[in-house]
Amino acid sequence: MSNFTAEDKAAITSLWAKVNVEDAGGETLGRLLVVYPWTQRFFDSFGSLSSPSAIMGNPKVKAHGAKVLTSLGEAIKNLDDLKGTFGQLSELHCDKLHVDPENFRLLGNVLVTVLAIHHGKEFTPEVQASWQKMVAGVASALGSRYH
Amino acid sequence: MLSAQERAQITQVWDLIAGHEAQFGAELLLRLFTVYPSTKGYFPHLSACQDAAQLLSHGQRMLAAVGAAVQHMDNLRAALSPLADLHALVLRVDPANFPLLIQCFQVVLASHLQDEFTVEMQAAWDKFLTSVSTVLTSKYR
Repeated sequence: MSNFTAEDKAAITSLWAKVNVEDAGGETLGRLLVVYPWTQRFFDSFGSLSSPSAIMGNPKVKAHGAKVLTSLGEAIKNLDDLKGTFGQLSELHCDKLHVDPENFRLLGNVLVTVLAIHHGKEFTPEVQASWQKMVAGVASALGSRYH
Repeated sequence: MLSAQERAQITQVWDLIAGHEAQFGAELLLRLFTVYPSTKGYFPHLSACQDAAQLLSHGQRMLAAVGAAVQHMDNLRAALSPLADLHALVLRVDPANFPLLIQCFQVVLASHLQDEFTVEMQAAWDKFLTSVSTVLTSKYR
């Protein structure tokens, strides 16, 4: 599994401290639903997803995005045990939500672009590498109890 | 198929890159090698020494090709045919690598354009670059 170096952890935690989870969450989920429209399949109950502005302004999208990123924040406190941290959520996503784990990879990649938007040059190749490692680890952990 | 709005988004972003192909291309390659080290195998000399001049030179070449694709986005197959031959017969880059390059491209755009990198731009460019990579691997077998 992913081994996070001291540099990885520093890059991840220091950037995370500057993230507004509410805003970034809505932004990330919204962009996922716009850029990869087939991901909308899980959100029939969310109301209007008919245009990019409808999606980005949708309060349910914002709320759910915040929920997802809050969960990610918990993971950041437990980088050495992502599988343990996400065990139950993995079962939930498999048994109840039936989410293809590929969606976790897509969401993680979108989060990385959102972080790049907010941090510009500070989001160096090395920082990106740490974060891609992070989101890959989360995606893997979320898929780990699928059966 | 690209809509009129998507074409506009693609051109709008390209206008910001044009003239800076070398710089954007070098950063793209640097991100690719740093984030996805397995890609270095496709650029043995370039990735080993990471000489700034060579990165700029190769980056320029790659982004110039992207620029050509932007000019001919209605007929990518014809415009990119020689590059498709090159990738099929000589380079033989495993198709799984193109999404990695695309992700790095998105990050380059996002980090440079920041708040100007709208969701519509991100969507249009993801669709466009995916089409380009489909064409580049279209003659593989």
